[in-house]
Amino acid sequence: MSVPAPFRLLARAIVCLTLSSRMVAADPPLSFNRDIRPVLSDKCFACHGFDPKTREGGLRLDTPEGAFATNKKGKAAIVPGDPENSMVWQRILSADPDEMMPPPESHKQLSGPEKEKIRRWIGEGAVYQKHWAFEAPAGPETPSHGLDGFLAKSWAARPDLLPMPEADSGTLIRRVSMALTGLPPSLEETDSYLNDTAPGAYDRMVDRYLNSPRYGEEMARHWLDVARYADTHGMHLDNERQMWAYRDWVIRSFNNNQPFDRFTIEQLAGDLIPDATQDQKIATGFNRCNVTTGEGGSIDAEYLFRYAVDRASTTAQTWLGLTAGCAACHDHKYDPLTQKEFYQLYAFFYSNADPAMDGNALLTNPVMKILPEDHAERVRGFDEQMAAVQRQMDAKIPEVPYTDPAEQDPKPAVQPTDNVWFEDAFAADAKVNEGGAAAQFVEAPEPVFSGQRSLKRSGQGTVQDVIMGGTLPLTVPHDARFYLHVFLDPGNPPKEIMIQFNSGEWKHRAFWGADLIPFGTVGTPERFAAGTLPETGKWVRLEVEAAKLGLSPGTSLAGYALTIFDGTAWFDQVGVTGQNDPASDPQQSFKAWHRASTGMNPPGLAPDLLAVLAAGPESEAMREDLHRLRSYFLQRVCAATVPLFAAEAAQLAGIAKERETYQNSLPSTFVWNDLATPRDSFVMERGQYDRPGEKVSPGVPAVLPQLHQSAPGGRATRMDLARWLTAPENPLTARVTVNRYWQQIFGVGLVKTSHDFGTQGDLPSHPELLDWLAVRFQESGWDVKKLIRLMVTSHAFRRSSAAPAPQWQADPANRLLARGPRFRLDAEQLRDQVLFASGLLDFTAGGRGTMPYQPPNIWEPVGFAGSNTRFYKTDTGINLHRRSIYTFLKRTAPAPFMVNFDAPSREQTCSMRERSNTPLQALQLMNDVQHVEGARAFAWRILESCPDSHPDAPGERLRFAWRTVLARLPSPAESAAVLDFYRSRLAKFQASPDEAARLVTVGESKPAAGANAVELAAWTLTANLLLNLDETITRN
Amino acid sequence: MDPLFERNLQLTRRHFFGQTGLRLGGLAMAHLLGSPGRALASAAPQVHPAQPGLPHFRPRAKAVIYLHMNGGPSQLDLWDYKPGLKEHFNEDLPKSFLGGRITTMTSGQARFPVAPSKFQFAQHGQCGRWVSELLPHTAKIVDDITLIKTVHTHAINHDPACTFVMTGSEVPGKASLGSWISYGLGAATNDLPSFVALMPQFPEGSNGQALFSRMWGSGYLPGKHTGVVLRSSGDPVLYLDNPPGVDRSDRRAMLDTLGQLNQHRFQQFNDPDIQTRISQYEMAFRLQASVPELTDLSRESPATLELYGPDVKRPGSFAASALLARRLVERGVRVVQVMHRGWDSHGDLPNQLGNQCRDTDQGCAALIQDLKVRGLLDDVLVVWGGEFGRTVYSQGTLTETNYGRDHHPKNFCMWMAGGGIRGGVTLGETDDFSYNPVADPIHINRINATMLHCLGIDHERFSIKLQGLDERLTGVEPMKIIPQILA
Repeated sequence: MSVPAPFRLLARAIVCLTLSSRMVAADPPLSFNRDIRPVLSDKCFACHGFDPKTREGGLRLDTPEGAFATNKKGKAAIVPGDPENSMVWQRILSADPDEMMPPPESHKQLSGPEKEKIRRWIGEGAVYQKHWAFEAPAGPETPSHGLDGFLAKSWAARPDLLPMPEADSGTLIRRVSMALTGLPPSLEETDSYLNDTAPGAYDRMVDRYLNSPRYGEEMARHWLDVARYADTHGMHLDNERQMWAYRDWVIRSFNNNQPFDRFTIEQLAGDLIPDATQDQKIATGFNRCNVTTGEGGSIDAEYLFRYAVDRASTTAQTWLGLTAGCAACHDHKYDPLTQKEFYQLYAFFYSNADPAMDGNALLTNPVMKILPEDHAERVRGFDEQMAAVQRQMDAKIPEVPYTDPAEQDPKPAVQPTDNVWFEDAFAADAKVNEGGAAAQFVEAPEPVFSGQRSLKRSGQGTVQDVIMGGTLPLTVPHDARFYLHVFLDPGNPPKEIMIQFNSGEWKHRAFWGADLIPFGTVGTPERFAAGTLPETGKWVRLEVEAAKLGLSPGTSLAGYALTIFDGTAWFDQVGVTGQNDPASDPQQSFKAWHRASTGMNPPGLAPDLLAVLAAGPESEAMREDLHRLRSYFLQRVCAATVPLFAAEAAQLAGIAKERETYQNSLPSTFVWNDLATPRDSFVMERGQYDRPGEKVSPGVPAVLPQLHQSAPGGRATRMDLARWLTAPENPLTARVTVNRYWQQIFGVGLVKTSHDFGTQGDLPSHPELLDWLAVRFQESGWDVKKLIRLMVTSHAFRRSSAAPAPQWQADPANRLLARGPRFRLDAEQLRDQVLFASGLLDFTAGGRGTMPYQPPNIWEPVGFAGSNTRFYKTDTGINLHRRSIYTFLKRTAPAPFMVNFDAPSREQTCSMRERSNTPLQALQLMNDVQHVEGARAFAWRILESCPDSHPDAPGERLRFAWRTVLARLPSPAESAAVLDFYRSRLAKFQASPDEAARLVTVGESKPAAGANAVELAAWTLTANLLLNLDETITRN
Repeated sequence: MDPLFERNLQLTRRHFFGQTGLRLGGLAMAHLLGSPGRALASAAPQVHPAQPGLPHFRPRAKAVIYLHMNGGPSQLDLWDYKPGLKEHFNEDLPKSFLGGRITTMTSGQARFPVAPSKFQFAQHGQCGRWVSELLPHTAKIVDDITLIKTVHTHAINHDPACTFVMTGSEVPGKASLGSWISYGLGAATNDLPSFVALMPQFPEGSNGQALFSRMWGSGYLPGKHTGVVLRSSGDPVLYLDNPPGVDRSDRRAMLDTLGQLNQHRFQQFNDPDIQTRISQYEMAFRLQASVPELTDLSRESPATLELYGPDVKRPGSFAASALLARRLVERGVRVVQVMHRGWDSHGDLPNQLGNQCRDTDQGCAALIQDLKVRGLLDDVLVVWGGEFGRTVYSQGTLTETNYGRDHHPKNFCMWMAGGGIRGGVTLGETDDFSYNPVADPIHINRINATMLHCLGIDHERFSIKLQGLDERLTGVEPMKIIPQILA
């Protein structure tokens, strides 16, 4: 292998330069936390750290006690002030593979500068410090320039960094608007800010955005990444889950500026607040957001374990910035968190009342119906309407002629009956195949036995039509024989025919042919063999006695089913024959009904009459009560009199339906509830669900302050945990939280690893600033808006992001903020921005996730056949153009506009998104229908911004467009380049107007009537160009 | 050259080019790593260079084609020949075998009746390997492949098992195998993505389980390493086509102006990201040309098309995807992952498995033969396998000719061929019931470790720091590569 000579020389030159500049610099004393711990943590602690199970040679270097202890030979790993006599230093220098540290097989090596640091630190006395993040914030004094004072200190020693001046006003308002609302400023907002020359204009502008309802939407987006919120379960079928109320609650909470400690308590323990409000319960959805499964064959214990691990790890990472999940399998290698302590955290979450299998259901318990504020009123309204109708019915009773046949002398004669249940259609209001394939009715020339239609059923394996309820009474008469007519397809006959009845349970079945349908117990009325299959190709009547199926006279049937195995069959005329004895028929005799209904709870019966009913017809009930019971019988049961109340019954049904529609329209959401008796938690050996070890109870890591239990001596609660997280003495929560907001506002956290404040995490770039912010945040009552205001009104935030090249090299990630923050917009912001510029954006907030444009075959090729999120059904109308935070999130196939721009799949908590820069992003921003339609709608706004008659119409229009997107005017060079492009495309579309017409009709929304397609197309491409500028897709 | 110095040199150079906005780093890198060979030639600047220090040693393979048979192919009916089972037809599987993790789909069964394979096996090739009659084409290439009969996994359900084979962990959220390779070795082409995922059609009526985007996702690695799904209908790459009414010259003109304005901006701001953005828009433009050329199979010779069989003419078929996989690696794509669904034969296995094999057998064999003829097989590692195997006992009704099989994690078959792998080797032996390995059990992460090894990567040293852990594809437990199968 060879390297071109010039490169080799250049590289050496750079290496030399770097080394020599280091040597020249003055050497301040080393700090353990800043200089030494990162090296030891990375290279040594895995074997000489906190975890006793992996500790080698009994030596730990993470504490001074361990490092300074002498061994049998009187030697110590570290002798403060004396590197030469420190074993550590000797072993580092050793060239013997058996002696050298770190050992070769660890694949870890100390660099030259790292070795030198260790030597110097020992020489300087080997002073240890506790890991900075576990000590309470010091609360440093406020420097003269507040927040900026801290930053200024870090430039003092850096002559290569000069603070940049304030950015221009246009850049500033766009920066603030994007940061606080996720949208660019409107032209009106920009103008009003530019025209406000009074002192405090900037602060007023910031406050306008902080008070915008869009603020909550932008803030919530970041939190929902942390909360791993999505609209599907996440595993296997990945079916839809309904918990968007939680997403909407987060938005509301930010808009209301809920203090962060309350925000914490409600999400972790809202259900434990006395008389918790609906919102406080919705908030507990936080730890129901985790991925769950419903995959057949899964082992329950394994998933209960995994869910609790996820919930504990997410909680620890979110509030403590600790990567506790590592300790699920073993003591943490780097942070002082034992495996037992992890399972103590886990114990807080191991007793949620949700099942291991989510059932692939929209709602997996525990769930809560969300009631609107006027709910009680609405319900009362329905009740009153129904009571009014009932009064009308009662008023008619005296005029109803009725004599109980059981009381006639002689009793009326017994008559044969024949009730047809199916002829051309099922009974009115019957529920057919709820949730399954629709019943298929066919007419001649297909086989029809009688009437106009028959019922056709075909398929593989067990297939059926299930008919439940209906107004026709399905009562079993005396000597009942059920009958059905079937026609079997001679080319593809079923292997089996079955009829099933539901008497409250599906326990009555007769079948003909092979015994393949796997329902019921063989040899019982649940699975009665009624005979062989009838001849194919002709109509045959099949009959079976009710007695054979365990059905006695007077039994009410809730429904029946017609089932086949394989093949094709037609059914027609289904019903029951028998004998009618009016005196013992519950639908004719009040007494007979009363006797048959004793102990039952008939629908709609006044509750106080239940006792009368239960007492039976022979009891000495109050006459008045018996009269009311008789009224109920006449109004609702008696075959002869019920028709007299048909009009009122229809009214009642109408009201009931309305009430049901209302009830069904109420959404529900996943909430947290504990089991009545908590599950015992154990340390799980090696993180395996089936290897419980020591039993543990809820608790917190010993390295952090003590937990105060509300019930001392009892079991610690999630409320105790939430209060502990937000207690003033907790060193982590406030730091972790302000750091996440800093990251959101400035692009990178003061602690770059915003998810990890442990010893493996990065050190803060400005430790004093972080502590100052954390203390102020707590002292302000955890006021988030105030904190955000503090950040965006700083000089640091307002600086220009343009800087000389050497300054970019000196601080590539802009950790020291000598220039303003500059980074690519997030996925949602990019989509919302184009919708905003185009004027298409719809601000409707909340509700079920929307399905905006998505290319075909994102969901379909991956979805399981039975999944209800297999097919993506693009919305129409406003839902195409709602804000991206409302987009439906399917975890196993997330929307391309999201993942393409580094949005997480929400399968795990995520506190920091990547910011990649890829060709696929370019393709999307240029070609996605969302962006093309947006460009066209924007083009129309551009055209409308200036009349054709204007002497410089194109120039005016460009200025409008430029300001709309970038809140500034184009430079003459920029203007000239874009207008050149515009004119060249105009010429092209003039030559090919058909192409123009095709371009301007992309998307569901239509171009404005009377628009000139050629001009519109040229502006569409120009808008597309502007929307793809680096500056446009950047928060500049 | 001293490897440490080489590493420093690369680091320094990357740093240097990153600062100056020059985009020559990749060119030098390609040079450093030696000529990448005909298959993976690329003279243009490298957009995604390798990680510093990678490959760790001389690679045997430069690209991977992973043929993932999703659902769990039955080892008993394809590769793991157990003639003795005929005598045990419908007998209960001895109790001593049961225990351990069984899915709750069959754990409640009253009986576990042994279901011998109804298919004929015969010996093939010089190695004399037994192969089922369901794989007549693959039988012709047995001397080119290593068969591992004892791969095992922890997972017993599809979702965690797929997540495990593809990301080294059952828990969603990790980076996929392909994204790791893309991250580690970078791209050998600027005109195509380095990691491509294909999802061919599968037989109607088969039990198609779900796929999950995490199987080709980048997890905690930078998003650019996410597998790009090449689609058989619509835009082959998402958003590839210009909108209606916009042609290539419009796009060129737009990009010229865009580049000019962005360059102008760069001169004011000096943000190196602006330079990257300009180059990514240019790459997008190149993709618009290179992808249609790539997916156009019409210029393949009649002999090649015949090799893959008549299905190759049907866009989106497995055969077409196999051919496309060859074209992709030929053009410098690092990893091609073909995910064929429908192998989850809980019932009616003989019929379903027959359909699955008819759909894929010829394509698999043709791919190996085609690569070989072109001299590419030495540079391309091909892997075939599912997420677990299937039980010897029948799920549901057992007859002489029909049966079903439940998931079986303890041993299943995978095969590997090409770059760095010996041909004609069979590794591992299972007991008489194909229920437990009796020799050479191979953890799924050892397969992945070995794949990395073939690519010149020491999997133990291939990690990124995340949440205090050195995250690696092959997990935290020590995993050895499989030396027996290396050429």
